[in-house]
Amino acid sequence: MEPQDVYYSKAEYVETASGNKVSRHTVLCGSQNIVLHGKVIVQSDAIIRGDLANVRTGRYCIISKNAIIRPPFKKFSRGVAFFPLTMGDHVFVGERAVINAAIVGSYIYIGKDAVIGRRCVLKDCCYIEDGAVVPPETVIPSFTRFAGNPAKCVEDLPECTLDLMLEFTKNYYQHFLPLSA
Amino acid sequence: MSYLNQPDYVCYVCNCGSLKPISKIYFCRHCSKIRCGYCVCQEVDSHYCPNCMENLPSSEVRLKKNKCSNCFKCPCCFQTLSTRAGHVPLRVVPADGEDSKDVKTTPKKVYYLSCSLCRWTSRDAGIPDQSMATGGWPEQENPHTSRINTLIDYHKILASIEKQQSERKKFRPKHPYMQIAMFRITSAMVRKHIGHPAKPTNESTDQPSPAVASTEVEELPTDIFTKPVEITKITTLEQRLQQPDVQTENVNELRPQHRQLLVRRSQRCRVCEHNLCKPDFCSQSAKFKIQLAAFYHVPEVRIVTCEPLRPGKSSELLLKFCNPTQHQTQVVLLPLDTPMTPILTLVDEKEEVKQDNAQQGSESPNLLPSIVRQVPVVEETKPIKITANADVVLPQNCLILPRRDDAAEYDDTGDTHNFQDDPKFVIWRKGNKAVIKLHVTPHENIEENNNQPVVIGFVMQYRYVNTITTLEHKAPQKLDLKVKLYLTIGNIVGSA
Amino acid sequence: MLRTYEGIRFFSDKQMVILDIGSAYTKFGYAGEPTPRGIIRTEIKCPDTKKLRRIYDYKDTEDLYQLLVEFLHALFFKHVVISPKDARIVILESLLVPTQFRDTLAKVLFRHFEIGSLMLLSTHLATISTLGVNSALVLDIGYKEATLIPIYEGEPILKAWQALPLGGQVVHELVKCFIFNWCFINSYFFNRYLMKSLREIYPNVDITEKLVEDIKVRTCFVTTLERSAKLGTADAPKPPPAIKYPGVKSINIPGEIREEAFEVLWERDNDNLSIPTMILNAIIQCPIDTRRTLAENILLIGGTAMAKGFASRLKSELLTLVKSSHYSEKLKIQTFMFHTAPSKPNYTAWLGGAIFGSVDLPLRCLTKENYLKSDRVPDWVSLIDNQRDESTVCET
Repeated sequence: MEPQDVYYSKAEYVETASGNKVSRHTVLCGSQNIVLHGKVIVQSDAIIRGDLANVRTGRYCIISKNAIIRPPFKKFSRGVAFFPLTMGDHVFVGERAVINAAIVGSYIYIGKDAVIGRRCVLKDCCYIEDGAVVPPETVIPSFTRFAGNPAKCVEDLPECTLDLMLEFTKNYYQHFLPLSA
Repeated sequence: MSYLNQPDYVCYVCNCGSLKPISKIYFCRHCSKIRCGYCVCQEVDSHYCPNCMENLPSSEVRLKKNKCSNCFKCPCCFQTLSTRAGHVPLRVVPADGEDSKDVKTTPKKVYYLSCSLCRWTSRDAGIPDQSMATGGWPEQENPHTSRINTLIDYHKILASIEKQQSERKKFRPKHPYMQIAMFRITSAMVRKHIGHPAKPTNESTDQPSPAVASTEVEELPTDIFTKPVEITKITTLEQRLQQPDVQTENVNELRPQHRQLLVRRSQRCRVCEHNLCKPDFCSQSAKFKIQLAAFYHVPEVRIVTCEPLRPGKSSELLLKFCNPTQHQTQVVLLPLDTPMTPILTLVDEKEEVKQDNAQQGSESPNLLPSIVRQVPVVEETKPIKITANADVVLPQNCLILPRRDDAAEYDDTGDTHNFQDDPKFVIWRKGNKAVIKLHVTPHENIEENNNQPVVIGFVMQYRYVNTITTLEHKAPQKLDLKVKLYLTIGNIVGSA
Repeated sequence: MLRTYEGIRFFSDKQMVILDIGSAYTKFGYAGEPTPRGIIRTEIKCPDTKKLRRIYDYKDTEDLYQLLVEFLHALFFKHVVISPKDARIVILESLLVPTQFRDTLAKVLFRHFEIGSLMLLSTHLATISTLGVNSALVLDIGYKEATLIPIYEGEPILKAWQALPLGGQVVHELVKCFIFNWCFINSYFFNRYLMKSLREIYPNVDITEKLVEDIKVRTCFVTTLERSAKLGTADAPKPPPAIKYPGVKSINIPGEIREEAFEVLWERDNDNLSIPTMILNAIIQCPIDTRRTLAENILLIGGTAMAKGFASRLKSELLTLVKSSHYSEKLKIQTFMFHTAPSKPNYTAWLGGAIFGSVDLPLRCLTKENYLKSDRVPDWVSLIDNQRDESTVCET
């Protein structure tokens, strides 16, 4: 099925020179530590915790409503340290998803209400289903689909996942239009 | 993307009869045919650990019993264990009467395994901490290994005796079904079947001591009728089966298991034995050495919208076609009963050569020399289980789709193509994509409430330019290929 | 003939894969290894309906073919991790396996996976290679059924075979019955107390098949003969302690369920048959000079035989039965001896295959070439495969 147009109110979103569309109703803590690499959509009420550590995303990332992106921490004998969170290109983060991963690769779909535990590593081309709970420090290999609580590999993904995700995020961006009113 | 999280609305019919979405089919350039995961030969390409992503050569995989030597999984919840460091003062147990203050506590870095999900630690199980971060964990050994090895050796001797005997027999005339006769479960053959010498008198000297039966059996523990049981201390069947040789009942006796390796598969066409898909050796990479997924070769059809469907009433259906190749293509829609023979057009000769469908597989010029190839094992084609229950009015004209141009995305000058499209048929066009309009009439006999989806089917004929050069054909070939498609367009709403 | 032999030599560096596809669990691994690489459920997610289906619950041959294709694909690429093409495979099968299943399995392996060679080994015969003895009475109590074949000096005494639909499944169904319908089962069974079913006590707890199996494996056991005789009578012994099951809502498993679930294996059916009578009837049907040897070489295999107290109960049942009027005339055996294989009973048959498969026996294998030529699997019940041929005559 073909994606439908999604409209947003022009007053709510800020569009940067590099094509990022960021809602004004988001919580971007420590915005000097957040790098959005262009054509990224951050929808309303999403939270990005740049105050904890650096957060970098690639191009064409979609962060849906109420999603939380939060750099992971690690406990040491003398306290806690936060690590930067990097995200590749063409990543979709569903509504209300919580991401605590250390590395999110490229061409990744993270479903609604999914929870990615701290210091997880998501390799390129993987799919986290809606509501999946990925335990901390898990590595998700490429071309796998994870589901359930705790998330387990349920299926392999087709070989053309890369282009499917690429097309999906680009399409999403193209269909994310200001409400002409 | 919709292929990943939506039901398969548009299905292509593979040559083996399977119905698959375009994301799951392949296009063999050498046979010019559609293949799918069901009818290709799948092979293990490389092994890797899903946790540390280390690639292992197959010889090492065999040696390590297909397990990663560094990564462990939790014996309780099967998640990956992580190594934790702890500064545990090495406490020397003070002897009686000695003042405990005199004993030095030397802080030393020790390591233990811990599960971040269920909080199991190797300390709970009583496994001593290790002084090294990597490895050194005690390995579990099957207690019966030596006994089993003796038995294996014994059977090997028996086998060599049998082989000698069959060598001797080779000079005698034989029954044509001799080999099959070996499977008989009667008389003397049975002796061999289970590996006993043909003559019982011929006692082998290396025979291991036979197992001794005993009248004593494991009795039911007497306290089972009185002792209260804590269920959390008893392992589940799943946990037991992770360690088949121990299958302990006590949770404390569970031991961390090595993580099993995963494989990346490569696909090979069973007819021409060319690779259809071969992943990059590096397990981290999402790229492929060979990638012949149909998504990059066959026009993709998507449903854009469909008007509400009523039995016997015509509804509008919008379909989007996309040409993924580097060559212009033309698409013609034909009714379902069209013969599926491909039409070959050579660029230089401009002459259509019809090929017999049955011969296509073996006569294709792009095959490897027949000496290299094995005889392909044929598997019966599956019957197509889906039937179309709606009529579709197919247009007469063909749809020309320009080649895919990745640079056009950044080009603001707009489409330079100028096609004489029928506006009633083609309603939108951009780059290598076009949307067409069709009229669908569901059959009268579909009822609204039995939830039967409306399915239409047609044959799509598309022009394919094959760029692989062979000895016979130096120039790229142009082929008109056909593929059958079934589209689930929705449910009936309301009656007629 | 010579060519086939060479063909096998050519890829004999590949390891033999040993598969024991049981009705509940599949054991898999490589020849020559002491433990299977894994034990997984014999079920697969149906690609159409996305539901888990047991392989043995097939509807027809075509359905079975598709199920096996899916299951073996997962088995080869996720668990055994081997390219099935040209692989050498040993399958352990019961002598009583339906021809439909056998033929379909061979067809899937050769036609779909293009395996190189297949060796079909009888479960009972292969099992005795784990002992190093020539004679044994092998009783396989699996999930669906219990099958028994006595083997004397390496030859199966086929006329004495026994099979009863007693196994893990009936126990499983009974536990389920206890949970869902406690009252019914008791009136049918012992006609005594009326208790509420667990279903009524815990209406919100989702009682899945998995939970039922879990209860069976973790809490139930085979009680002793003395206690069993008293069950249901006025002076019934005090039931074992109940077990509290944790969960979102914890449930209580009464001691009665724990003790009585396995009783169904020892109940006589309408033909007066049960697991102990299988052994005795088989011995009676064997030639008189083999009986003592067989009774003193009993080997129990199969997952259900691992139930706590199973072997001791079987022994006491046997000793009581031989003294009964029905058997004391015909059978003069007083002692029964049991073997312990160097493995757990649920994978003993697999181990037998692994020991047997470790030796190079190209003549025993059905090769791809031969299968494609004849398009059938040799079968011991088929007369085509049971013709007298010269080689047998020469030997005997």
